[in-house]
Amino acid sequence: MTTTAWDSFGTPPVYGIAGMLWGSLLLSVIALVIAVPVSLLLSIFLVFLAPKPVSKIFTNLIDLMAAIPSVIIGLWALYILQPTSVEWATLLNKYLGWIPLFDSNGNFIGSPFTAGIVLAIMMIPIVTSVTREVLGRTPPELINASEALGCSMWTMLRYVALPYGRGGIVGGIMLGLGRALGETIAVFFVLKLVYDVNWFHILYSGGGSVATLIVAKFGDASGSLEQQVLLAAGFFLFAMTLIVNVIANLIVARTGRVKS
Amino acid sequence: MTTIIFDETRVTTLQQQTAQKPWAAKTGKWKAAVVLAVIIPLAITLALMFATDLPKALIMVVIYLPIQLIAGALAATATRGRKNALDAMIIVVAIGATILSLVVLVSVVWAIIAKGIPVLSGAFVSQNMTYISPATPLGYGGIGHAVIGTVLIVLISAVIAVPLGVATAVYITEVRGKAVPYVRFFVQAMSGVPSVVAGLFILTVFILTGVLKTSAFAGALAYAILMLPTVARTAEEVLKLVPEDLRTGALALGSTRARVVLQVVLPAAKTGIITAAILGLARVVGETAPLLLTVGFTDKTVVNPLTEPISALPSFIFTYVSSPYPDAVARAWGAALVLMILVTVLFVVTRILTSRRPGR
Repeated sequence: MTTTAWDSFGTPPVYGIAGMLWGSLLLSVIALVIAVPVSLLLSIFLVFLAPKPVSKIFTNLIDLMAAIPSVIIGLWALYILQPTSVEWATLLNKYLGWIPLFDSNGNFIGSPFTAGIVLAIMMIPIVTSVTREVLGRTPPELINASEALGCSMWTMLRYVALPYGRGGIVGGIMLGLGRALGETIAVFFVLKLVYDVNWFHILYSGGGSVATLIVAKFGDASGSLEQQVLLAAGFFLFAMTLIVNVIANLIVARTGRVKS
Repeated sequence: MTTIIFDETRVTTLQQQTAQKPWAAKTGKWKAAVVLAVIIPLAITLALMFATDLPKALIMVVIYLPIQLIAGALAATATRGRKNALDAMIIVVAIGATILSLVVLVSVVWAIIAKGIPVLSGAFVSQNMTYISPATPLGYGGIGHAVIGTVLIVLISAVIAVPLGVATAVYITEVRGKAVPYVRFFVQAMSGVPSVVAGLFILTVFILTGVLKTSAFAGALAYAILMLPTVARTAEEVLKLVPEDLRTGALALGSTRARVVLQVVLPAAKTGIITAAILGLARVVGETAPLLLTVGFTDKTVVNPLTEPISALPSFIFTYVSSPYPDAVARAWGAALVLMILVTVLFVVTRILTSRRPGR
């Protein structure tokens, strides 16, 4: 269970999901690092900068992005995004390869880097829709007051809007995290499953994801032990997403109550 | 003697403060600075792209972005003073983030349209794949069986999930029993269930135990798990909007509570409940992972929901993408286009319905 090998024909057969569990976390961290700044900036643009009609259209477009099925995102990621991200990964490795994080094992296809980008793309609309709501609910009195005090927009954001919406923003990020942890199909297309724990080599070809493991292996699961391991993996996944979602919902609900 | 007139309109205008956004004010000098701050970095970047053979992506990030940030900051300093330099940088990166997101969306949609249109034809959306080999030209065979499968699975799951979801909402808003907080928590927890877990649950509880066969009905059950929280939450919101007067009025006329719900509240919230159902459909229609575990795969047109494996659009795409034949992959793109059209139609319908909903 906590080992890192997957061998149905060994005696006794071994099924380790440690690599998968860590892989899910690694992917989520990569996705968060990309998605959180982008979503925050995006909602700042939609709420404070864009003219109202533009903001309305963009909001709808971003919501449409959330509605795109993951299998389509996966198809796109496999044929369109992967070549681009491989190019990026090559560049990162070429110029920043001395940092262990950007080390390479010679092949950039199927790396956690690409899968993380895909997850980030799926997280951005979810996180944005929450942060946009929260920032939009900043009382105009507070904004006007900060203007009257001569604050620049940055000061207003830093000391008024962001602290005011902090709870909601954290909650939105966690909702996105819940989606990232449970995402299966899009990751399946772009991540090469490897059972060893890939600690932090995000450009290596090969990583893990619990959700993807289930779909990848259940079809040819041999024997009841393998099935049971996959069920246990599913249970882990369920427990993780449940905890993340419950915390997220509590945070969002609490900040909502303070406001109303 | 003068009378003081209480000017009500003035009071309300004072109360309804709106954000003024003084940073958005525009002067001639400001416009000139913005134009310069946009053009100069772009020109330098383009010049570098043509002059050197450094990778374009590298130029964008290592050269364009910093220059654009500095230019924005300089423009702001020149027009508004130093304090606003940081503002300009935020505006630059915020616009950058927005463009990035839109580029992704446009890229996805464009890829589907560009690769899907050549495949699309009357035969493609109506025929099945029974006698089609990977080498058969694209003019023959198609996704008719998968479209029927998707419709069948989604409809069965709606038949299961919509009444349950509405009943849950009725329990929360009308019955208001003691278990309401627990029901709410349960619905919330369900809404976070990853789709693969829903499929796994149906697989282990019903299929591996032999209660159900790999079939459309099993897939519909998995979909229903995903659909229920969406329907319940939306229906709850909608039922809350039904005026309390209607309920008390009906009760005062001597109706029982059951009649109030069935004949007054639910009819009053009819449009909202339809919206809830469509939102639920939109939530599940593209889900792939539960189908892979529950409905199996076939090339035939299947209308029997209970005993036979069936194909649906998402699982069709999933299977054909993994194929080594270019034509099979082309078929996957075509199916993706059809699925995307379906999703977009549902999305637009829910947008229109929800924007018309009163009270928001």
